Amino acid sequence: MRKVIAVLITLGITIILLIGSMDLPQFGIEDTPTNNDVTKYYIENATKETGATNIITGVILDYRAFDTFVESSVLFTSAIVVMIVLKKEKSK
Amino acid sequence: MKDKILNTVVGNLIPFIQIFGIYVILHGHLSPGGGFAGGTIIGVSFILYRIVFGKEFSQKKLKFSVLLRFVTIGVCIYGIMKGYIFISGGNDLHFPQPPLGTPGNIMSGGFLLPLNIIVGTVVAVTMYFFYCLFEEGEI
Repeated sequence: MRKVIAVLITLGITIILLIGSMDLPQFGIEDTPTNNDVTKYYIENATKETGATNIITGVILDYRAFDTFVESSVLFTSAIVVMIVLKKEKSK
Repeated sequence: MKDKILNTVVGNLIPFIQIFGIYVILHGHLSPGGGFAGGTIIGVSFILYRIVFGKEFSQKKLKFSVLLRFVTIGVCIYGIMKGYIFISGGNDLHFPQPPLGTPGNIMSGGFLLPLNIIVGTVVAVTMYFFYCLFEEGEI
């Protein structure tokens, strides 16, 4: 019974991801999200608005700071989970 | 490991590794690098310390409770700082914030420098924890 449920869940997630990939832009089109104005805006205004000469730091710590926040939360959570699984109990 | 040459060489080498890591973190908004890269370098120095000087000695220097406190308080401060900035900027409220300064100085860029330091701390301590847990099961 559990195996059947696992197979069903896997198939469901696969179908959902395939449906999502149908909305991706076609290969080789000009106006994809990668090529819109955001790149140009970052290159022209990042130093002026964030004060960082390294544009990458300006983007990941200012424009998209919550992304980096969740990234460090993921590191923290993984450290806690590994600690729960692997840490030895103190022998008394 | 009880080897006098190894202990001396590593004891002289670790401060330089840590200074390089701190340099990479502090210049994160000026040159390539930043919190993740610099934190990895500092974490590597911790791991080297642990390998060479042994478990008992490094447990005295790098206490588990202190390191865990660094990480948790750091993540909390990051969330508070960035939430403050987004509320003040996103709603056009313009709360007081540190000045941007002239680009190129270390003390510039508003909140970028403290955020880089926090990310570096979290990455360094997490790398050290992972090494200790996978190798010995204790921190």
